[in-house]
Amino acid sequence: MNNIAFNVALPLLTAFLLPIISSGSKSATRFVGPFVLLAMLWFALAYFNVLQHPVAIALGGFLPPLGISFHLDNLSLLMAALIPLMMLLLWPYNNREGFREESLLLLLAGAASGLALSGDLFNIYVFYELLSVASFGLAAANRTAAAFAATFRYVIISGLGTVLALTGIALIYTQTGTLNLAHIGLLASQLNNPVGLSAFALIVIGIGVKAEIFPVNGWVPEVYSTASPRISALLAGLISKLAVLVIIRLLVVAYQGSQALTLLLVLGMLGIIWGELSAWHSKDLKRMFSFSSIGQLGMVLVAFSIPGDAGMAAGIAMMLHHLVVKPGMFLLTENWNGPIKKLKGAATSSPLAAFLFMLFALSMIGVPPLPGFWAKLLLVTGLVEANAPLYIIALVVLLTATVIEAHYLMSTALKIFSRGKKKHFKKLLQTPFNLTIATIFGAVLLAALFTLTPLGNKLNQIATESSDRSLYIKTTLSLKLPPQVKQQVSKVQ
Amino acid sequence: MRNISALVFASGLAFLLLVITWQFILGGAPMLIGEAILQQAAEELGAANLVTSVVLGYRGIDTLGEIAILFTASTATSLVLSSIAEKTSAKSKPGLRDDGTILASSASLFFPLLMTIGLYIILHGHLTPGGGFQGGVILAAAFFLPLLAVPGRGVNHSGLALVEGFAGASFIVIGIIALFQGKAFLQPLFGHGEMGSLLSAGSLPLLYIAVGLKVGAELSGLLANLAEPSGNGDETLSATESASTEQTSMQAEKTKS
Amino acid sequence: MTTNLIHWLLYGGAMGLIVIGIVGVVTLTNIFRIILALVIAEAGANLLLVIAGYRFDAIAPILTGQALSAMPTTQIMVDPVPQAMVLTSIVIGVGVQALALALVLKVYKNYQTLDLREIHHRMLADIDHSSGVISLLSEEQPKGERPLPEPETKNVLNSGGEK
Repeated sequence: MNNIAFNVALPLLTAFLLPIISSGSKSATRFVGPFVLLAMLWFALAYFNVLQHPVAIALGGFLPPLGISFHLDNLSLLMAALIPLMMLLLWPYNNREGFREESLLLLLAGAASGLALSGDLFNIYVFYELLSVASFGLAAANRTAAAFAATFRYVIISGLGTVLALTGIALIYTQTGTLNLAHIGLLASQLNNPVGLSAFALIVIGIGVKAEIFPVNGWVPEVYSTASPRISALLAGLISKLAVLVIIRLLVVAYQGSQALTLLLVLGMLGIIWGELSAWHSKDLKRMFSFSSIGQLGMVLVAFSIPGDAGMAAGIAMMLHHLVVKPGMFLLTENWNGPIKKLKGAATSSPLAAFLFMLFALSMIGVPPLPGFWAKLLLVTGLVEANAPLYIIALVVLLTATVIEAHYLMSTALKIFSRGKKKHFKKLLQTPFNLTIATIFGAVLLAALFTLTPLGNKLNQIATESSDRSLYIKTTLSLKLPPQVKQQVSKVQ
Repeated sequence: MRNISALVFASGLAFLLLVITWQFILGGAPMLIGEAILQQAAEELGAANLVTSVVLGYRGIDTLGEIAILFTASTATSLVLSSIAEKTSAKSKPGLRDDGTILASSASLFFPLLMTIGLYIILHGHLTPGGGFQGGVILAAAFFLPLLAVPGRGVNHSGLALVEGFAGASFIVIGIIALFQGKAFLQPLFGHGEMGSLLSAGSLPLLYIAVGLKVGAELSGLLANLAEPSGNGDETLSATESASTEQTSMQAEKTKS
Repeated sequence: MTTNLIHWLLYGGAMGLIVIGIVGVVTLTNIFRIILALVIAEAGANLLLVIAGYRFDAIAPILTGQALSAMPTTQIMVDPVPQAMVLTSIVIGVGVQALALALVLKVYKNYQTLDLREIHHRMLADIDHSSGVISLLSEEQPKGERPLPEPETKNVLNSGGEK
């Protein structure tokens, strides 16, 4: 039953060996990556099928509070399956320039899987750092002057985040004397003081660098407009969600008090305001999408700040919706990267891309039959039911943001669908490869439209399961405890 | 404007951290898992150095992540610098002075000494302070010293890549072997042996050798990558190039104001 | 009382290092110094971790001599877990710093400056230019990315200097 560890071990192993493989045979380099990703997908889905209730796995055979454990429930397995899936869609199949980018992507996949599964605070930090360093390399892979400068700023902001997160982890360790999330959850009462809460704030801001959380998202527009659209799609679509997942785990297990929720709510609102206003102001598609990504992740954060299952369901729905829509949008920016004014006539030169843009835009705004509407509806009802002054303010912010969103997306759509000059046609033509992948994202969005009821049921099940604090603790600590810890545990209880 | 907000952010954080310091419960942290590990680590793993049993046993997957981070950093660095690295891979570059016999010969004198110390520290990682990381760094220093003394000397990157790859892979393969034996991933293999002797603590010394070689190769590659372009002399932009960049920056400032 | 004071000083020192580093990262403009400030902040965080596991009058968690046979030992040892964590985080820091330095090298080669504000302006101008938002360069100049500095000129200069 222990083979989920392969999801971390296999990509890392392949990445280590890739330089050697590539010196042997160039074609093998191109095949081995997708093959490993397929294997990862298979492992994750195999677990997904047999999983009845959450399971914890002790790595190295050392029982959880002492050793590191992986926590497998529907949410973490869903992410573990989405990672190889997204990677396969955004894999550089036509890259002939050596093995380094493939190697970094595999490392990213391994780190992301570890981040999704891990149940140990410091282990999460290690995988988060691995994820960061791999994404630095990918962000600079374009090798233009602007990409280097943007990546440098990204590295520094991330480095600052690392220091803050590490400080937060050290503070939690000084307060509880343990690193396992479930064990921390058991001792949560010791964290309900200024030191514990500021540890949470530090970790949120530190990990939030990847989740594009408000004060530490200065790198977002720069990196996304200098990196290749595939990498932007990966970072905005997948990687940001994993960072959010870590924050949610910590929130559910150890910080159920209102102060931590208020922090998330305020950061989320600031993110929405800043992101949407900047997107409204921006003049080219790449930066517009980067800023709107910040705004969307602010909405995700606001959703998770609603206490109880409702918030969890809304947050996961928003997260999954953004995970499908944003990569599709970023793929369309490859050839539409000029100023929005020059997009005139884009619809006539590649009608499918224009249709996809319209679909994604409408879903993101939340126009009724599309999945984005249902996600936003969950969020709005959650905010109304939470019934506290701050949540009402958040509701107002959210609705205003939606209006702004609708304005800038629809005015762009107007430009795309308006008649343009003939000589621009060639420039606005989308490459068939990007278009195919974007179409797949669009098809997933439309498929979700027709399976709303089963999806909703599954979503509710995942939300109830992952917002259940005692279930998480019980799962990990039900493995046989070493006597000393058992004694301490019973003392605390 | 950006500066002001950054300053506000920094001073807010500074205030938060200082308040935390004030709030600290004095007298040290509770050692929940630390105490338990101190009690049972020697029995479970058979390593005299308990930090090693934490690094490779209880938190083995952290160590895997850590060597992966070093590997990622060196891959990313060579990706960033590759336009230069590819051109300067020739063994010795003309136009670099030899920095004197004393430096060169003492560097080659230190090489075997540093290698010996590095390998000693790696091999005794489960018995005495030290281990794969510390020893690996010394190995890297052994390789880097000649590079500092004789800047033109090239580094065998393909050889380093080979060591890197196989050392990292063997760490994971040892973990996977345990999996195939019906144990958990990265569970220590073999018996404990007699505690305190060189051949003890099961597969931990093997893991540390893999870590040591990997860290050594990784850091030498990383340092050589960074050192090579600087040995190349200052680069100057061509006249047209600098003119256009000046123009760009001027116009950028104009648009700012 | 003195132990408490020492403890407070240690924690205060670690926090102070973090604060110095963060303020440095935020206020400095030389990108190389920013990296150094980051190193200081990381050192502070690592120090905080080590202190979290420190106990007075305790020995390093390594069994030697008699303790090898008589388990569990009676001697007080410091917490081994933070030590392992610090080992990990130091190595992580080294990797990130090396990458940051490589980027500084490349940024300097391309923009000929280490001033963060100027680099930021140039970068924004480059992004604007590549997306065509504000046409910064005149129409005669080639479209597309600004090319990297050409290696040929550099070699000529080098060999010229040698003679």
